[in-house]
Amino acid sequence: MTINQNTTAANLSHMTGAEGFTTQEMLLNLGPQHPSTHGVLRLVLRLEGETVVECTPVIGYLHRGIEKILENRPVMGGIRYMDNADYLSPQLNEIAYATAVEQLMGIEPPRRAQYMRLLVGEMQRIASHLVWVGTYLLDLGATTPVLWCFRDREGILSLFEALGGSRFNVNYIRVGGVLHDFPKGWLAECAAFLDQLDKNMRELEILITGNEIFEARTQGVGYIDPQQAIAYGLTGPMLRGSGVNWDLRVNHPYGAYHEVPVNVQISQEGDCYARYKVRIGEIHESIRLCRVAIDKLPGGPIGTRTPIALRPQRGETYSAIESSKGELGIYFISDGGEYPWRAKIRGPSFVNLQILPEIMRGHKMSDVIAIMGSFDLVLGEVDR
Amino acid sequence: MHIVFADNVGTDLLNGIISLQFLQFVIAALSFIGFVMTSAALLVYVERKIIAFMQDRFGPLHTGPGGSLQSVADVLKLLLKEDIHASGADKSVFLLAPSVFLAPIIAAFAVLPFSPYVGLPGTALATGLVYYIAMSSIDVVGVVMAGWGSNSKYALIGGLRSAAQMISYELPLVLALVSIIMFTSILAGGNAGIGTISIRDIMNFQNIWPKGGVGIPVLDFIFQGFTPIAWFFLFQPLMMAIYYICGLAETNRAPFDLPEAESELVAGYLTEYSGIRWAMFFLGEYGNMTIVSAITTFLFLGGWSGPGVSYLVAQQGFGWQLLGNLLAVGYFVFKVYGLCFVFIWIRATLPRLRSDQLMQFAWLILIPVTLANIIITAALYLIISAIGLGGSTNLVFMIVVGIINWIMLFGFIRIVQRATSATTRRARAPVLRAQQRSKALPLPEPAASSSGQ
Repeated sequence: MTINQNTTAANLSHMTGAEGFTTQEMLLNLGPQHPSTHGVLRLVLRLEGETVVECTPVIGYLHRGIEKILENRPVMGGIRYMDNADYLSPQLNEIAYATAVEQLMGIEPPRRAQYMRLLVGEMQRIASHLVWVGTYLLDLGATTPVLWCFRDREGILSLFEALGGSRFNVNYIRVGGVLHDFPKGWLAECAAFLDQLDKNMRELEILITGNEIFEARTQGVGYIDPQQAIAYGLTGPMLRGSGVNWDLRVNHPYGAYHEVPVNVQISQEGDCYARYKVRIGEIHESIRLCRVAIDKLPGGPIGTRTPIALRPQRGETYSAIESSKGELGIYFISDGGEYPWRAKIRGPSFVNLQILPEIMRGHKMSDVIAIMGSFDLVLGEVDR
Repeated sequence: MHIVFADNVGTDLLNGIISLQFLQFVIAALSFIGFVMTSAALLVYVERKIIAFMQDRFGPLHTGPGGSLQSVADVLKLLLKEDIHASGADKSVFLLAPSVFLAPIIAAFAVLPFSPYVGLPGTALATGLVYYIAMSSIDVVGVVMAGWGSNSKYALIGGLRSAAQMISYELPLVLALVSIIMFTSILAGGNAGIGTISIRDIMNFQNIWPKGGVGIPVLDFIFQGFTPIAWFFLFQPLMMAIYYICGLAETNRAPFDLPEAESELVAGYLTEYSGIRWAMFFLGEYGNMTIVSAITTFLFLGGWSGPGVSYLVAQQGFGWQLLGNLLAVGYFVFKVYGLCFVFIWIRATLPRLRSDQLMQFAWLILIPVTLANIIITAALYLIISAIGLGGSTNLVFMIVVGIINWIMLFGFIRIVQRATSATTRRARAPVLRAQQRSKALPLPEPAASSSGQ
């Protein structure tokens, strides 16, 4: 079950090494169904002994035609389909789409709406990173952190359920603002949840961060050179784990990030452990940002009045936000009608995936899982 | 050719088989096998509950009160499952492998005395410890047979890896026990001190209460046979830790559970087994866990000793002796299951070691440490006995060895921490070198306006 036994198409090439030894390369298929590929990613590995010589990712197993669907839905109806792209941080996808349309139409959401978007966006970022931490440790063999992370995530999902009626695909963001105001008592519960999350994060870090086995498996593994990272267009924790100070919330602020400063989490080493530290740091930073948003939440309207059948004027625009995986951009082309002419999603996982074959080369087979896990790939974003 | 046996072999044999002693033996043997299997099944349930509580969930809840019948349900299901044979390769090897894996584990219980009187005749074996080590070595054959018989190159690789792991960790396991055996030969007294490798006798060395008691009934009741201050774990904590770690590796438990890992690339040796054969492997694993805990209890924690056992067993009257034996069994089971709880706790906590790190840990860290410990123990004894303290040589030696060993324990923890950081530093060398090369990093775009203004 763990590997595709269908090696009839095995490509064995004989090579003669020094001293007359013949070695064979083995083709190993880490199939689309695999407990650790985090979705339906297929990796075709060429191994020489234990070393990975070449790694070819094969994607497309989760293609659902989201961009095509968006062309056939009015803008407000299409927001819900953005949830399916990066299904672990749906609200951030919605914010990206809504921001693109607002940028095209020149609509500025009211301040309260911007702070509400910041709040739910940062909570969504925490939820996404918690899933990553849990599943990464599960790949490495520790079965406990995933359950603690999902328990903490339950708090966030219950808050979203109270907010928008659904835990995952909340469909809360609208062009011009948000759907409706916070329910009574929601902010107090949110603050209480953040306090509990602080304690739980401390517990989690005691379990994981200093663990020698975890360090031995992630330090020095999967090094990404900063120049290489910039050349490949990596964004998000992949880039910040290699020491590059680039975060769209700071470098190209949008929404409430004009007023709320973000401490960018950077790590210099560039290996899997560095990316882990960046994401843990981002969880703490997001908790702090949520508290700031709760404190400084202004009054006022929660949305600009826009017609339900929104007709953006002719034009095209590109707008990007800092999603939990990196730069999530929407290139939105409108022809003046109700339906978008084209809405192209620049998925950060798709771009981050391109560096995987480069990094994998030369590593041992046992490191493949550790490296692939540290990329935080969500196949919904890769395949759309 | 006329072969002559003893006279009346036939009638002697018949009289022997149909006799009370043989019946006793058969009942004892069957009940021990029953204990092993039941204990393994119970451990499965206990493990699921304990890991569940550690992970903030409940575990089995619905089958029986609190889910206690879950193991029964699992065993029933596995018994009724279709026995799938992998087609090809050695059928006999494939079918025999689970038995070859399970049988030595059950057989190793023959030398474990559960209480002063409850035990198979094998507990009188003078070479009990060597017998146990031999039995745990036969397990490797079972694993290799399983890997070979599965007729899949990935299962073979997995089986060989698991066998390499088990063999590598047997050496520090045995070396860790050697120092205990050295203790017995020292404590056996004087210059003619010949130690013992019988498990019962090693346990008796951990009891320093004067024979016949001190006369005060309450103190005699509590402490006769039960002197925790003389338990060997106080004097060789490092060896107990190392023996326990090697036991983890022998039984393929986390963090050494690469052969069982589902999220790794290579399928383990277990893949092709279904139904009761798979169950035999798993029961064997939990049985092995119990044995490692049991040997740790005997050699380091005083075995079945506890308040009241020896006092009651020495009384006249069958009732008191029975009570003493039951108490002994209770204490023994409590200690063994306490150590099994630590097995389970470790499984819930730690991630998995990579296979090369696993091997490095065994060969480069554990074996030198255990060898060094043997040399240090012997050197200390020679030094202390040369000082010529007369009667209290043994006491002084034990105290000194204990102090040195506790220091070594903390030193061992430091070594492990530094070793992991050293290997990672070596692995990160290209990282650091690359960082030296690229000091100035051109940003894609200068940060025009920092947020917050």
